[in-house]
Amino acid sequence: MIRVALEVLAVAALAYFAALNGIYLVFTIIAWRGLTSHRRQRRYAAVDEAFASPLTPGISVVLPAYNEAAGIVDSVRSLLALRYPAHEVVVVNDGSRDATLERLRTAFDLVPIRKALRDELQTAPVRGVFASRVERGLIVVDKENGGKADALNCGLNASRHEYICAVDADAMLEEDALIRVAQPVLDDPELVAASGGIVRIANGCTVDHGRVVDVALPRSSLARLQVVEYFRAFLVGRMGWSRLDALLIVSGAFGLFNRELVEEVGGWSSRTVGEDIELVIALHDHLRRRGERYRIDFVPDPVCWTECPEDLRALASQRRRWQRGLGESLWRHRRMTANPRYGFLGLVAIPYFIVFEFVGPLMQVLGYPIVLAAFLTGAVSLAFVGAFLAMAVLLGILLSVSALGLEELSFRRYTRARDTATLFVYAVLENLGYRQLNDFWKLQAFAELLRRKGEWGEMRRRGLGLQSPPS
Amino acid sequence: MVEFLTSCAVVLAGLGGVAAAVLGLRRLTLARAEQRRLDAEARLIPAALELLDGMEPVGEVSEQDVDVFAALLGRFGRLVRGVESERIAEFFEHHGWVDYELGRLNSRRPWRRATAAFALGDMGSSRAIPALIQRLQDSEPDVRAAVARSLGRLGATDAVESVVGGFASGRLPGSVAGQALLSIGSSAVRGLRVLNEAEDPAARAFAVELIGLLGDASDEDVLVECLRDTSAEVRANAARALGRVGAEGATLELAERLDDGVVLVRAAAAAALAAVGDHRVVARLVELAQQDEFESARAAAEAAAQLDPEGVKRASSAAGSAVHLNEAADLLELYA
Repeated sequence: MIRVALEVLAVAALAYFAALNGIYLVFTIIAWRGLTSHRRQRRYAAVDEAFASPLTPGISVVLPAYNEAAGIVDSVRSLLALRYPAHEVVVVNDGSRDATLERLRTAFDLVPIRKALRDELQTAPVRGVFASRVERGLIVVDKENGGKADALNCGLNASRHEYICAVDADAMLEEDALIRVAQPVLDDPELVAASGGIVRIANGCTVDHGRVVDVALPRSSLARLQVVEYFRAFLVGRMGWSRLDALLIVSGAFGLFNRELVEEVGGWSSRTVGEDIELVIALHDHLRRRGERYRIDFVPDPVCWTECPEDLRALASQRRRWQRGLGESLWRHRRMTANPRYGFLGLVAIPYFIVFEFVGPLMQVLGYPIVLAAFLTGAVSLAFVGAFLAMAVLLGILLSVSALGLEELSFRRYTRARDTATLFVYAVLENLGYRQLNDFWKLQAFAELLRRKGEWGEMRRRGLGLQSPPS
Repeated sequence: MVEFLTSCAVVLAGLGGVAAAVLGLRRLTLARAEQRRLDAEARLIPAALELLDGMEPVGEVSEQDVDVFAALLGRFGRLVRGVESERIAEFFEHHGWVDYELGRLNSRRPWRRATAAFALGDMGSSRAIPALIQRLQDSEPDVRAAVARSLGRLGATDAVESVVGGFASGRLPGSVAGQALLSIGSSAVRGLRVLNEAEDPAARAFAVELIGLLGDASDEDVLVECLRDTSAEVRANAARALGRVGAEGATLELAERLDDGVVLVRAAAAAALAAVGDHRVVARLVELAQQDEFESARAAAEAAAQLDPEGVKRASSAAGSAVHLNEAADLLELYA
């Protein structure tokens, strides 16, 4: 009886991995086509015209900051220096307990003003608003702590433009990032509800005044693994879903939204730790129910550089939080699941996220011991174990290497051949422990969801402004 | 089945290995080509500048450098107008590039047609205009957008009707058509007036916005008429447009719009009155800043601050003053 059960489970595990990697393979092909098409479109993107045009809509860049003293000044400088014809930067100090506000005050010569704030979205009380004597495009809102979503909503209340670009406080946008992420909006403002750019890892890069001036690999192995992982997540996952008009995530680190629509769905939700995915699913839900044509796009070339965790504890906490956010949003919008009214999104994208991204880790963690136990009890053959490993590991390696290949074919941001060679090694290593560890953390998130754990956890930021390459 | 899956995985992994090796070789080749291109570009910049200045380039452009030189001139083409643009066009005509790109405009691949359309705009040759106008009917939105952009760059007044028609029929998004018409310049205004009669309020709003950006005081009557449009968006755009063209004769009508039922129109009217410089409405603006909804109250406070800075500072120092006036007064102090 146990042997039969193990055999069935082992076959299910094999089928699961075959299906999962098969889907990833299809996505890699879709993403490859998308990136090729995007690379060609870049040749005739009228970026200069958009920059000079009075028709280009204004953007308020909203930067929620909680205990970000280490890098806040450089981040704000990089945002103020963005190449965009009409943008303002709204920093929301979310009750920081460190010197975030003081550093801003000193660096930008802030003075208090009596600013009128909208009351469309309820937030924690605002303690004061500051304007800069030296930078007219900068507003700093000081408020009581209410979490990231609350700070974003407060930033939205304080902003004046029709589009909101949400950016993490540790993020550094490249000079053209704003105009490039806005390209879908510039091409068709009536249709585009939101767009997001690519997030890349800044650890190891040389940063000068909030700008990445030399792209290099991090020294930490854990960060290098995340570099490969981000390629997969953005160049394959986001690109693929965007091509299928079913993008569920616009990264919280860098996303552009139509302000009116954000207000209509009630802003960023403070009731989930995944406010970014929640907002995008809420927008889909809202617009599909209204029966409107719309698009939510991923644009692969505007880059947002961000610091990733370099210790296991912080990484585990981040991944558990992401998984909890996914679970909460899928549950909250469960009416969309397998609902033909939501088209491809309801029938394919959301079920995929439930089966492979949310419940999947259970199978991915249990698959290995099940197959091992089945083999030891004689329920499956050695050939079966070989097939399982080929599906679970070998194909995984192929997919990681393919993601790196997509980066090579398209952007080649790591210009040193040695860095690329190193990344190929890490693309292999990623499948030999790291992915499984990630699945384990995701599994832990289940337990946390059951316990209704809602806090964010903290990542100690070192700040990237002083990092230099080894001499 | 198991054997089949194993074989598939092994074959795919093998292919992955081969692909990795190919990518490695590609990286080396591209790096060398890029270095060659950068070297050539650095060498050719003086010759390109000489050409723009109307001189015969001192250094001869070799056969292998001609592609790099053309790309360089194409980029310069986006930055210059007038006689320099004509010199660039002459170069491209002389070397057969214009004909080459005109040929590619009929390619079966949409991205090639779009790239050719874009390049023709950079080349600056007006000979491309008829073919580009015809391409506004292309089935691909990307191609149509690149064509519209290039017609704008070429200042193709003959294309106004087609671009306006492209927008009206939904074949060109407003942002793309608008930018093209802005690049063509004030001669587009006559074509835009046709849209004022359109049934679709979005088309009328688009036309009014562009007339505001391209027109002058002589368009005042048309715009004043639009202040009475049934669409709030048209009325708001008309108010903004009157502000932009400095329509001093329309202040009465603009002041009436301060009582419009739609907040967007009231805000636009307030900003327009400040732009025109009508001091008679300051009291009404202050009143709006104190009582109205957020957007129009803010616009009214900003307009009042522009027209009567001292008055706004005084009003904000009074007890119980409105938040928008306080903000406007603080910003006046800050950026005085």
